[in-house]
Amino acid sequence: MTRTWLRWLPAATVPAVIAAGVLAGSLPASAGDPLPAKSPEQVLELIAQHRDPSFSGTLEQTSNLGLPDLPKTGPGSASGDTAWLELLTGPHTARVYRDGADNARVQVLDRLAERDVIRHGDQLWFYNSKDNTAAHAVLPAGGHHPSGQDSVPTPDRLAAKLLAALDRSSNVSVGTDVEVAGRAAYQLVLTPRSSATLLASISISVDGQSGMPLGVEVKARGQSDPAFSVAFTKLSLRAPDAAIFQFSPPPGATVKELPVPDHKATGAKEKRGAAAKAKVKVSGTGWESVVELPAGSLAKAAPAKGAPEQQGGPGSAASLLAQATVPVPGGRLLSTALVNVLILDDGRIFAGSVPLERLQAAAAAR
Amino acid sequence: MPGLRLLGSELGVLFRRRRTWAMLLALAAIPVLIAVAVRLSSAVPPGRGPAFLDRISQNGLFAGVTAMLVAVPLFLPLTIGVVAGDTVAGEAGLGTLRYLLAAPAGRGRLLVVKFAGAVVFAVAAPFTVALVGAGIGAALFPVGPVTLLSGDSIGAAEALARLLLIAAYLAVSLVGLSAIGLFMSTLTDVPVGAMAATVVFAVVSQVADALPQLEWLHPWLFTHRWLDFADLLRQPIVWDSFAANALLQGGYLAVFGALAYARFTTKDVLS
Repeated sequence: MTRTWLRWLPAATVPAVIAAGVLAGSLPASAGDPLPAKSPEQVLELIAQHRDPSFSGTLEQTSNLGLPDLPKTGPGSASGDTAWLELLTGPHTARVYRDGADNARVQVLDRLAERDVIRHGDQLWFYNSKDNTAAHAVLPAGGHHPSGQDSVPTPDRLAAKLLAALDRSSNVSVGTDVEVAGRAAYQLVLTPRSSATLLASISISVDGQSGMPLGVEVKARGQSDPAFSVAFTKLSLRAPDAAIFQFSPPPGATVKELPVPDHKATGAKEKRGAAAKAKVKVSGTGWESVVELPAGSLAKAAPAKGAPEQQGGPGSAASLLAQATVPVPGGRLLSTALVNVLILDDGRIFAGSVPLERLQAAAAAR
Repeated sequence: MPGLRLLGSELGVLFRRRRTWAMLLALAAIPVLIAVAVRLSSAVPPGRGPAFLDRISQNGLFAGVTAMLVAVPLFLPLTIGVVAGDTVAGEAGLGTLRYLLAAPAGRGRLLVVKFAGAVVFAVAAPFTVALVGAGIGAALFPVGPVTLLSGDSIGAAEALARLLLIAAYLAVSLVGLSAIGLFMSTLTDVPVGAMAATVVFAVVSQVADALPQLEWLHPWLFTHRWLDFADLLRQPIVWDSFAANALLQGGYLAVFGALAYARFTTKDVLS
């Protein structure tokens, strides 16, 4: 009888060992050497002194915004205009390579597919393996072209943007040190002073040595999981192999040449942008701001997006909008964990990181 | 070494069986069917059908990749289920298990040998698909630089190496299922039951992997990383999924291997 018992012993031990191993691995790893204590100002300085680095790393992004998942398989997947919108829903993994200011490559690793953005000097390439298409643009010399690097938010860019938006409306503190991608990091926590916003906190992890932002986590009120988080899971600060930034479209790929934004065009665009801006009204301050778009802006925007044959398809912008909104008195509401968008029946749109009641109050005030 | 002699005779029996060859032939038919269909039809529009299908007409080596992609969800698990489910239950069903155990080789060693035989088949199956696919693709289509998922191109020799690497990835992927099959096989004297149970296991695991409600379970499913072999088609190669997959399959091997050992060494062998 004892022998029978002995024979079953490994079958009982192995799962226990695996469970113990998983538990040990999932414990929050504390940084080995504690970082010297720093005030929020000093951490901000640390970020500011950080200059265009060379690195290669892997980014993990998760979103928990409460938006419906976009179809990932089948015909509607990643069709044109929704391909980049899809980055807002569900988890993603991307590899990021950067060498100085002029060389960058972002690879969004999809299942059985990949989307690439490559910048080499003034050459900018987009590649999508799903339909084997590439797009090419030549960046104007000297100018800082934002697109391409903004397509996937790397932590340092996101942090710079968030810090720029930071003003007296937020409480800034330094939380306990964390470990990101195996590196000890400061955690800068922004908490809105207002209680009328959906945002609970934004934490930015900052590498204790280089000052490079390693991750951003946005939490919504009443949600334990972060509504949006992007962080490095692997990072090497050595310059990546130069061959990574060499790209030529593969044979058989459809190559689209993107128009170069020259000064005349940007001037006209700015004028148009200014005209549009004049119609956008903002009420409230700080985190409680409510943006109002005038009637008709959605109707104008909708047909401009996507080819006509895509309209009504499972992945089209129009059908996604209908799917994502819920009817409320006076209009439709697009509700996410961080932002509420109220589309009134008369066409006006109110958006803000505030509860629905505030949007309705703002709408009633006019 | 009686263990090695036992393994040799086990492999001899396995690969002398007509059933084994029929299964390998059926697997080899997948790339042939795909390549011929693509050859006879007009150009495949990108984004339709299984991934990589549109690439075959540009480069024959993709016939192997597409065939493996098609074979992963059902055909490969089906053949592994038949071989692994037959290991112990087959001998019991034929009434030969008694004689095998009468030999001085212990039950534990017999189990290891049986499992090793199943693993050899799990290696042979994906390599058959890959090599037949590369051969038929090279015969029907031009072979040149291969476009990876990242948009970079590599030479045909390196592409063949990656093709074999994918086959190795799939062989590792099937180890967990082989261990499950071995355990199922120790539970019954009816080989068909063990085979069916193993295949059902693979299918249920894939269905669970497709349900977003079971997201917490996904990293624990042995089928979860089966399709991640595409990471080997990126430039530079993502090795993380290979390592994570090996670890996952190793976990299944440990759990179900221990279960099979416990069951088989405590079982009353009557036939």
